[in-house]
Amino acid sequence: MGVLNKDKSGLKGSFTTMVSESRQTTDTNSNSTALAVKNLSKIYDSVSGKVVALDNINFTVKKGEFVSIVGPSGSGKSTLLNMIGALDRPTSGQVYINGIDIFALSDSKIATMRNGLIGFIFQSFNLINRTTVLKNVKLPGMISGMPVSEANNRAMKILEALGIADKATQKPVNLSGGQQQRVAIARSLVNNPAIVLADEPTGNLDSKTGDDVFDMLKTLSRKFKRTIIMVTHNPELAESTDRSILIKDGKVERDVAN
Amino acid sequence: MHPTDIFSLSFDALVDRKVRTVLTVLMVVLGSSLVVVLNGLSAGQAEFLANQFSALAANVIYVGSGQHSYHGSSSPASIIINNAIVSKMRTLPYVEDVVPGYSGSAQIDSQGNTQRISITAMDPTKLAVILPNLQFVDGSTIKPNDPGSALVGDTIANPPGATTPFVVVGQTIKATYSYTDASGKQQQQVKNFIVSGVMQPSGNTRIDSSIVINLDAGNQLLHKSTKYDQIVVAAISPDYVDTVQQELIDQYGKTLGVTTPKSIMAVTQKAASGNAAFTLMVGIIALVVGAVGIVTTLYNSVTERIREIGTMKAIGAQNGDILQLFIVEAALIGIIGASLGIIIGMGAGYVLSIFTTTSVPGSGQIHIPPIYVPSDLLKVWLLSVTLSLAAGIYPAWKASRLSPMVALRRE
Repeated sequence: MGVLNKDKSGLKGSFTTMVSESRQTTDTNSNSTALAVKNLSKIYDSVSGKVVALDNINFTVKKGEFVSIVGPSGSGKSTLLNMIGALDRPTSGQVYINGIDIFALSDSKIATMRNGLIGFIFQSFNLINRTTVLKNVKLPGMISGMPVSEANNRAMKILEALGIADKATQKPVNLSGGQQQRVAIARSLVNNPAIVLADEPTGNLDSKTGDDVFDMLKTLSRKFKRTIIMVTHNPELAESTDRSILIKDGKVERDVAN
Repeated sequence: MHPTDIFSLSFDALVDRKVRTVLTVLMVVLGSSLVVVLNGLSAGQAEFLANQFSALAANVIYVGSGQHSYHGSSSPASIIINNAIVSKMRTLPYVEDVVPGYSGSAQIDSQGNTQRISITAMDPTKLAVILPNLQFVDGSTIKPNDPGSALVGDTIANPPGATTPFVVVGQTIKATYSYTDASGKQQQQVKNFIVSGVMQPSGNTRIDSSIVINLDAGNQLLHKSTKYDQIVVAAISPDYVDTVQQELIDQYGKTLGVTTPKSIMAVTQKAASGNAAFTLMVGIIALVVGAVGIVTTLYNSVTERIREIGTMKAIGAQNGDILQLFIVEAALIGIIGASLGIIIGMGAGYVLSIFTTTSVPGSGQIHIPPIYVPSDLLKVWLLSVTLSLAAGIYPAWKASRLSPMVALRRE
């Protein structure tokens, strides 16, 4: 299970330059902070006028913290997760991951940053069904240029830790929903990211399987000190995380420790 | 990403859509094999023509009476080719020999069978001037002063499809020449000949489909009154053919028609080249159609795999990685299609050449095998792969430019 421990030497060499280019000397970038969101706003132009999806959001997440983002549909929680994951650029404000101002980077460097610093878990798993579980898990490693043997080794160790090593040669389409989400979790961890972003990870699963997947995320956080930010509709799951941030109308309505 | 990882993911994508991949590869196979077949057959045809002309003496010039007009303009009246003309030609510079001849067509009878054939009358000792490689299937040549012997082309002696020979060496054949006399009456001149030799096909279709008799016999049988139909002028070497040809034109203008095997070959090869260019264009059009197929396939693939592209970009794939994935897919289609197309095209060319073997009177069975030049095959391969790559560029570029968020939202 050692592979699931947060490895501080996990950042790739390519990040060294990136960090020196964009690291800010602020109190939000202390060694204990994994994520800092500062004055984040997102305004969309639509036919009916401007739509404020996020309005001056501010919060920080400590390393090893398991944070849930909750809120009603259309509140802006998924938009916030997309901003934290650098899938979209904000209208204003900054997001720091491990002290790196991610939107100060070029698109290409943002892609490298997503590969090295962020692990994504999607509601509908988003696995490549035509290829094997092993290849899905090692895909972020392949993208980072990790040597094949190392990528295979890491992927297999994570699959073993998550109890699905025997499925390595199968195609995801032949697995149950819970097993597919475990594959997605394994993929999110293979590059040893600074934070794991989970968008409704139990949304497509039945309650029992959903609970199993959530327990796995909790274990990753508690036992292996992984920083996890999870968007969920489920208030019970949210209460089981370290901290819940309620988003409403694009603003942080409440930020409470559980 | 490592090139091996790119290859592995691209290969997986092609295998995942087997039927579509096979159909797309088939389009490239059809295009490249068509180019290979047409190219090979055209090269074979050009080689065949060159071989045919190489059988003819390279130092000879064919002189006939008068030149045809192709544009409706009246050409000068022909002059009569007689011994005076022949003697004068012998005095021209760089002329080694002058061989006059008569020609006509007659019916010949042999053991109750008849054939209508051409008759060439000339000094039989000068046959080697026209056909330096002449060989006999059976028998030997005739003496210059023997008016009762004849040489027969192999196609006449052994007609294609016949189980027994029409005539063999030593047999007598009866030649009947029909003509209209001065009073307008239809007359016939009959003369018997003993077959002295049967000639192997030489490539000179006129001789191959003729019987050859000596000048006196031809003059008598064909009622020529010592007016020759054609003269073969041999230059001292092939290097002087153009000089002698120009001299003849200077001396006789358009009153005599002057041609050389070289000029006939040039015209024939020009026509063959034009034909080859046309057929090659047809092949290239087929290749372009194949390339359009690749565009369609990859474009559909991009549309279908949009969430996959979004996921890959979300987990850090660069635009260049996505571009390479689709370009490698296009390249794989092109490489597999072009390689198979070349192999299939080569095989199809050989099969087609066997099925199109024909019998031509005077020349026997004509089989024109395709010729595949390695450098031409390489060009076809490169063209097919390049077109496939070019076809993959737009869908690949489109995929690489997708925003990860937009791609992830797409159902």
